[in-house]
Amino acid sequence: MNLNVILLGALLAASPVIAAPGGKPATDMSGGHGHAAMMRDMGKANSWTLYPTLKARMSGENRETMKTAIVPQNIVVANIDAWSNNLKDENGYRLLSMDMGGAMLDKPANGGFHWLAAREEQGETVRVASIVQAFGGNGGKDPTGMFMRQKHELEIIPLPFPREHSRYRANEDWKFLVRFNGQPLAGQKVQLETSNGSMAEFVSDAEGMVKVHVPDDFAAEEEQPAAGGHNHGARRAADLVLATEYADGGKTYLTAFNSSYGPNAFDKRSMAMGLGFTLLGMLGAVPLLRKRKNEQKAGEADNA
Amino acid sequence: MLKTIFPTLGRVRFAVQILMMFVTVYGGALLGSYTVNRISQSLPALSCAYDKMTGDHCILIVNQHLLHHRVGEALVKAQEVTLKVFIPVAVSVGVFFLFFFFLNKMFCGWVCPLGTVQELLYRIGRRLGRPLNRFNPKNVGRVRPVKWLMLLVLVLALPVMAGMGVVGNELGDPFCQVCPSRIATTLLTADSEQIAVRTSTTVNFALGALGNAMFGFIIIAALAARQPFCRICPMLSWNALFQKLSPMRLVKKDAHEKCEKCGVCEKACPMDIHEIGTQFGKKAFHEDCTLCGRCAEYCPDDDVIQIKFFGIKLFGSSREYYKKRVKMETPEGTQKKRVIEIKPGKPENV
Repeated sequence: MNLNVILLGALLAASPVIAAPGGKPATDMSGGHGHAAMMRDMGKANSWTLYPTLKARMSGENRETMKTAIVPQNIVVANIDAWSNNLKDENGYRLLSMDMGGAMLDKPANGGFHWLAAREEQGETVRVASIVQAFGGNGGKDPTGMFMRQKHELEIIPLPFPREHSRYRANEDWKFLVRFNGQPLAGQKVQLETSNGSMAEFVSDAEGMVKVHVPDDFAAEEEQPAAGGHNHGARRAADLVLATEYADGGKTYLTAFNSSYGPNAFDKRSMAMGLGFTLLGMLGAVPLLRKRKNEQKAGEADNA
Repeated sequence: MLKTIFPTLGRVRFAVQILMMFVTVYGGALLGSYTVNRISQSLPALSCAYDKMTGDHCILIVNQHLLHHRVGEALVKAQEVTLKVFIPVAVSVGVFFLFFFFLNKMFCGWVCPLGTVQELLYRIGRRLGRPLNRFNPKNVGRVRPVKWLMLLVLVLALPVMAGMGVVGNELGDPFCQVCPSRIATTLLTADSEQIAVRTSTTVNFALGALGNAMFGFIIIAALAARQPFCRICPMLSWNALFQKLSPMRLVKKDAHEKCEKCGVCEKACPMDIHEIGTQFGKKAFHEDCTLCGRCAEYCPDDDVIQIKFFGIKLFGSSREYYKKRVKMETPEGTQKKRVIEIKPGKPENV
């Protein structure tokens, strides 16, 4: 067998899907494994926005048997379009039919990113909801190709989407491309709404890029119940949706992209304590910097 | 041309270190955000997963996660201890070994970003005239077991126990929480998050405080001691487990009468491996060796110390090379002052 094939197989198999297994919630790209939080989300109605959104709901007793149901909210569709980051794979594009609990998305063997979209067309109005679902890691392919492939008329594309061990977080800036029929839209307004109640508006630049500032809107005192299993301490998370509207050819297009986000990077962290302990360590090493008498003499002798 | 740019093995290594520092610290920014998911995620060097720009992840975080999430949990549910548990562990270690097979512990001496940071700090320390603190043959033995303790407790035992529910989940990746590379590499990407101590639980706080104090100690100590963290790094012990399985080796002659009186290679060794001067043959390739090659560079006799791959000499000590090397830098790492001779004569083109 070709060595490259063996190596590639080994690399794929060593993916974080295996290393840190468990499908992550579509709305939590934290790199963590807050499965208990996913379970709590089940059955919640989407009442914080009127924009169309997709919700990924996980079910199952463990990560091996966990299933992902994609549930449309504020949009009525019969199918969900699913693109995988392995575009050339037989499952590169799939049409997932809606069931009682939503459209079921299988966890691919190699994990990786999926783009999921619901498209509703009524009269002269086309509405699209979209999310990214990541199955904890190494799909073997860079998902940029999947993101950039034209999937609908009006699109909001994350460039980049948070990778492994990362997620959208409050007080951070993330870039998105807004385009229509594959062409960047300059000066396009993009609305942001969050489940914590924030609203904002951003405008795309000449290249169609919009820099979105995720609002720091988590309540400071909010406490999360302790979670069982291997939950990494019940991560706090909220939802955000970006939406934009564009009229063309007598039709109105509304496209939304939703995801989750976490508190700001310094939530439950202390910079003062961090600097204090670092300084303490530095002071502990200071005696090493002092020259001993015999070394001083030797140095003086060298100089002489 | 190449000889002008890379006149010594040390210069080649330094260039590789800087190149690998860009890959391990900024690789994601340079090669694409998703590169980290595509190289190996099992690198035998402290390439930190907390660094959002890193190009690859270190094997130790993968180990801790596997032991925490797979082995520990599966041990509780004994019926689930099946191939699906052990194959991932075996594959992860296998991928690591594919890298390791070719370069052995060069990952420590040539690739690790924290190793490079410490070496750069040491160079600054030389410029500032700071003393050199070394372990002598009598006390170096005291620090050597610490790396095994770090591996056993922080990388292996606690993550498994966290997976089993014996200890809290905060102890799922305890080494990462105290690893100075986490703070150093994230700071190098202008990300100050990791230097802020986590306060969510007492264990998180304790680990964070210890990690920060260790980081502070290391960056100051590195000005006056060579590779202070490497000596207790669990990657060193992890790599030592596989050291004998790689064809990349440090090889010393079985006997050489001059070694007893010389000892220059011992002075050159950044890990204070005195055995390189006193032992011969296989024993000279010590578990703490990072294959930096300085002992071979500073050995004044021909081919007494060599770096070999599958028995083929890649680099060997030589008297001529030694003479050239010591003119540039002392075995302890102090740069020699360059004297530029200006000969009097008639100016040209006047």
